[in-house]
Amino acid sequence: MWNLFKKLAVGLIVGGGLVAIANSQEVPVSFQLLFFAISVIGAGIFALLDAKTMNVMSGGMAFFTVTAFWIFLISVCVAGASFLPQFDPEDEKAKIGKLLDKERKQSAQGKTEELIARAKALDQQVKALEDRLKGVGGGQVVAAPQTPSAGEKAAAAGGGAASGDIMKIGEEQWQLQECYNCHKLRGEGGKKRGPELDNIGTLLTVEEIQQKIADPKSFMAEGYDKEWQKGIMPDKFKDLMDPKEMLALATWLGSFKNTAINTPKPIKKK
Amino acid sequence: MKTHSSSLLALALLALLCGLGISDVFAQEAGTSPVDFPYTGNRTAVWIVAQLHILFAAFILGAPIFVVISEWLGYRKQDPRYDRLAKEVTKVTVILFSMTAVTGGLFIFVLLAAYPQFTTSFINQFYVVFAILYPALFIAETILMYAYLYTWDIWRGEKKGRHIALGVLLNLVCLLILFVINGPTSFMNTPPKAEGVSPQDFLAAATLWDKIANQSWFPLSLHRIDGNVAFGGFIAGMIAAYMYMAAKTKEERAYYDWMGFVAIWIAVGGSLLQPFTGLLLAYEMCDYDFSFCPYMMADQLSMFFEMQGIMIGLLFLGINYYSWLSVKRIEGADNVRISILAPIVLIVLLPVTMWVMNSWWIPDPMSLAFLLPLTLSPFLLGRFVPMTVSARTVIKIGFIVMLISDAVWLTPAGFVATGTDMPDEMKLPEGWDYLSSMPAKLSAILTLVFVTIVNFVLYNRAIKQGTILWGKIDFTAQFVLIFLAFTSTWIMGLMGAVRSLLKKYFHTYSLVSDLSAESFTPTLSYSAGWITAITVFFIAVVTVAALIAIRPSVAPAKEPEGSPVPVK
Repeated sequence: MWNLFKKLAVGLIVGGGLVAIANSQEVPVSFQLLFFAISVIGAGIFALLDAKTMNVMSGGMAFFTVTAFWIFLISVCVAGASFLPQFDPEDEKAKIGKLLDKERKQSAQGKTEELIARAKALDQQVKALEDRLKGVGGGQVVAAPQTPSAGEKAAAAGGGAASGDIMKIGEEQWQLQECYNCHKLRGEGGKKRGPELDNIGTLLTVEEIQQKIADPKSFMAEGYDKEWQKGIMPDKFKDLMDPKEMLALATWLGSFKNTAINTPKPIKKK
Repeated sequence: MKTHSSSLLALALLALLCGLGISDVFAQEAGTSPVDFPYTGNRTAVWIVAQLHILFAAFILGAPIFVVISEWLGYRKQDPRYDRLAKEVTKVTVILFSMTAVTGGLFIFVLLAAYPQFTTSFINQFYVVFAILYPALFIAETILMYAYLYTWDIWRGEKKGRHIALGVLLNLVCLLILFVINGPTSFMNTPPKAEGVSPQDFLAAATLWDKIANQSWFPLSLHRIDGNVAFGGFIAGMIAAYMYMAAKTKEERAYYDWMGFVAIWIAVGGSLLQPFTGLLLAYEMCDYDFSFCPYMMADQLSMFFEMQGIMIGLLFLGINYYSWLSVKRIEGADNVRISILAPIVLIVLLPVTMWVMNSWWIPDPMSLAFLLPLTLSPFLLGRFVPMTVSARTVIKIGFIVMLISDAVWLTPAGFVATGTDMPDEMKLPEGWDYLSSMPAKLSAILTLVFVTIVNFVLYNRAIKQGTILWGKIDFTAQFVLIFLAFTSTWIMGLMGAVRSLLKKYFHTYSLVSDLSAESFTPTLSYSAGWITAITVFFIAVVTVAALIAIRPSVAPAKEPEGSPVPVK
């Protein structure tokens, strides 16, 4: 027991020291917690290294201890994973919904679902009419519920983008295709994987931007010539966007002409 | 005998399901509505059955490699313990073979029910694989596995070589199955493509070989081979732990202590390769489509990788703790010493590797020019340096280095669910951000592997210079063996989920969209719950299989009943 307390004390001192250093350097609290947790786990491991030998168990005692050990493992795994920050699927669902909207409508399954939804709506209208007829008989008028069909709902949901202006569609494509994962724009996203694009409109025409999106190897940004940086932009966007959407994205990007930002010069390759 | 008949029954069921599945597939019309699985939903239903199938399949493909190595060692060293170990693991493998067939059949059924249209098109893409190659190889594996088990006692002595050759043949078929089935699996992540041609047009002209030999096929197969060897070893280690606890005599305890030792060291051999083949797979995936990389490391799946780091860190700590406990029961281990170069390299390896990788990123040969001499120096130059350090001290230094490496591995750019809109107050400040870079992660992995190798060398020296007291290992070691089996199974489940989620909202990446409402990234918490449930179920089945298969072989021999006498 003394061994455990001694090791734990060392762990707490080391952990406390790390937290103090990290805190003085304005490292976020979550990292301070990580460093502290690893120090305490380390203390536990060193206590185990010098612990007394465990006696051999068998029969019921062994069964009970193994079961308890399993419950401990399961609890730690589930609780540990739940303790970490969780990505909210709702954020992604809305995006995927927009990306797959056209395809869903065109698919056999989508058509079937739409037909079923329409049939249900018609059924409701028939019921409402029946109620009205009954109401007429009883001297009362019941308003028929105006339930929109699934098709109408979908059109209403997707129609905003279709009828919106080209800049809005362009910005939406930037979000949907997750361009921000590699490119910094308006001070957001990037991580230095791809060039910052705030001044791209000064350096390339809309047609050239469109060409770059459709064929990423057509231009290469100056300074991105290291072997592991070359040609990493995926060439899938021409298959994921229709020409109208790609033009909208290029037009929207072409409107960024902030000369204060050093967007690297694109070099024509094709 | 019951076991074997149940296996055959399961195989027949699989064949029937395959047959039904394929005939059903071609009878389907476009627009067939999927079945709605209650409670879990369709995607999770497929996930559970697929993951269970992969775990059983990984064991039955990995265990034969483990078994034949053990049998060969027994023959070469004339040590009957290796032969007994090989035979016992084979018996468990045969039972789990039937579970692989049952879960395989169930997988096809659930996939067809949940995603009828996609399954139809997918089977059509790989018709030759699913209808001819895979069933033929599976039948060949069945015949060879039963032949291997039933000829064990017949082909002994001078005929042992013939039996080992049969085991090698079995392994070749197992490897072929792995490579064949990894074709369709990897195709879903990285279907073949060419510049300037739409994926649909390219696929229409692609041959079966083009589809199989896609960009992630070979790295995935390599990663699964060493993964299966490691997994087979960890599971065999857990079986040894249970049998050790159930042992009634000193001899049995000594044997199962030895079995745990052999199993873990074979598992460690596979585990040391895993990070590198895993990196190769990730490299090829990112090369195929760079958007995989941020999705994994910085965006939706970043905390999945945080969890992977935690589990792998714990796995390496567990492996080295087991070797510490093993050294403790060796008489004369206190006298084992190693050159002072070993602890020096242990201490400097992490910072030096981080500096090298920041200066010359892999695959720049300059990084190897620095790192190879550094890591080999304790073993090549150690004999010329007179100063030595005791094994125990070096192992303890190794633990400190491992903890620091774990800390580096677990330091992300920020503790947020997605890095795309990370607030500044959550980010690592400038001057600390190198800890979250890829070179830092690679350095941490390399250091963990190096510490384990140094401990292995020390352990071997202790074995050669001292006497192992088999059966006298600290009882804690049995819990470590169980922990290692649990952790490795859990990591397999987690990484299986990651590989599948990488397809994003596609069934087949960029080719076939998943139009269902479930095509989104689930939370880590939700995923961890299912991964844990799958792990527990798998290990419970393995435990039951081990108790059924191995217990009778250690039961006391019955008294001869004498010759039957006809009734007068």
